Amino acid sequence: MATDDISKLIGRVSLKDRAAFSELYRLTSPKLFAICVRILRDRTEAEEALQEIYIKIWQRADRYASGETNPMSWLSAIARNHAIDHLRARKPVANTIDEAYDLADSAPDPERTAINTAEGRRIDNCMNELEADRADAVRKAYVEGLSYQELAEMFGTPLNTMRTWLRRSLLKLRECMER
Amino acid sequence: MTTQNPESGDSRRDQVIAGEYVLGVLSADDRRKVEARMVLDRAFAAMVDHWQSNLTSFDDTYEPIVPPPKVLATVERRLFAEQSTAAAVSAPTGFWNSLAVWRMLTLASVAALVTVATFSSGVLTPQNQTRPLVAELAGEGSATINLLAQYDAGSGALKVTPVAAKQAEAKSLELWLIEGDNPAKSLGILPQTGEGEIVIPQELRSKFGEGVTLAVSVEPFGGSPTGSATGPVVAVGKTRLP
Repeated sequence: MATDDISKLIGRVSLKDRAAFSELYRLTSPKLFAICVRILRDRTEAEEALQEIYIKIWQRADRYASGETNPMSWLSAIARNHAIDHLRARKPVANTIDEAYDLADSAPDPERTAINTAEGRRIDNCMNELEADRADAVRKAYVEGLSYQELAEMFGTPLNTMRTWLRRSLLKLRECMER
Repeated sequence: MTTQNPESGDSRRDQVIAGEYVLGVLSADDRRKVEARMVLDRAFAAMVDHWQSNLTSFDDTYEPIVPPPKVLATVERRLFAEQSTAAAVSAPTGFWNSLAVWRMLTLASVAALVTVATFSSGVLTPQNQTRPLVAELAGEGSATINLLAQYDAGSGALKVTPVAAKQAEAKSLELWLIEGDNPAKSLGILPQTGEGEIVIPQELRSKFGEGVTLAVSVEPFGGSPTGSATGPVVAVGKTRLP
């Protein structure tokens, strides 16, 4: 599945080309359906979500800026955002962003920094700089759409500890990616 | 989420909130707040985009699952049920030589295009001045051509991609730039092959900006003999930032 082909198909869909839409669906729906199934953990809901996602893709294709964003990444973001919105509406979680964030300074480990710079700044390298369980929590939050509460239960930590883990991990990742 | 000072620790907090949004751990209310701020605050929207492109490699974890065929059928029914009857009625033959088709084409679609452009909330693609200008030039109904024009200010190249161009028999499509109430200026003839670029004359490049109108008219082969549009305008649209 060449990135260029997907990009061109999205361009044609933005001009309401139905054949291009079917082709785009054929090429990309298995990935987006997998996202829905994994996050919603319910086949019927995943099928309904997939419908809504492709309707959004049809309507928003004109906002895709080719050349700047990987087209699969753009499509996956629409799918993940839809599935997560559905999940959070079904099972509400606490509002947090207006509260205080506990963000201690994190000094990078000099040896690891050297290795990382030599290898480039891919997210995988930066994930390796995190403690294993924290990296695992970051990945599970993204891939499965888990809430802080679910992550805290899964990793056996208090809720606030999990929030601090993930927020500090995000800061470390950002600092690592920008080195 | 109040106004943040980028020089202070608030910027680190913003980075974390942007990351939490992309991870998906925020509540529904918080997600709406983040999206509202992305529309208003480009620096913040860039942080979200940055996280999105960094974390997208986790998408490799999702092993593709082919959905049941009924999903696409339902989507297409929902999207196209109304339009398909209209298209069946208006499908013409001999497109370029049919006066009936030309009469049918009106400028009414301009309003629809402008609506599309302003509807864009920028949640997924925040505005960015360095992007090329684009215009979608649409006629009315499925029988017409649709063109996507992309203008690169750096090279002065205007790339025009017809999507459903019909056979042009001894006719040329001429592209026009209309700025406010000024007379249309010819930008050149679209390549007969379908896809191609027109390099905009240096003296016209300064006229390109958001909100100028691009139009395509049907002219005698080789272009308008008079220097202004003589044939029917088959497509028109305003430039905007994608």
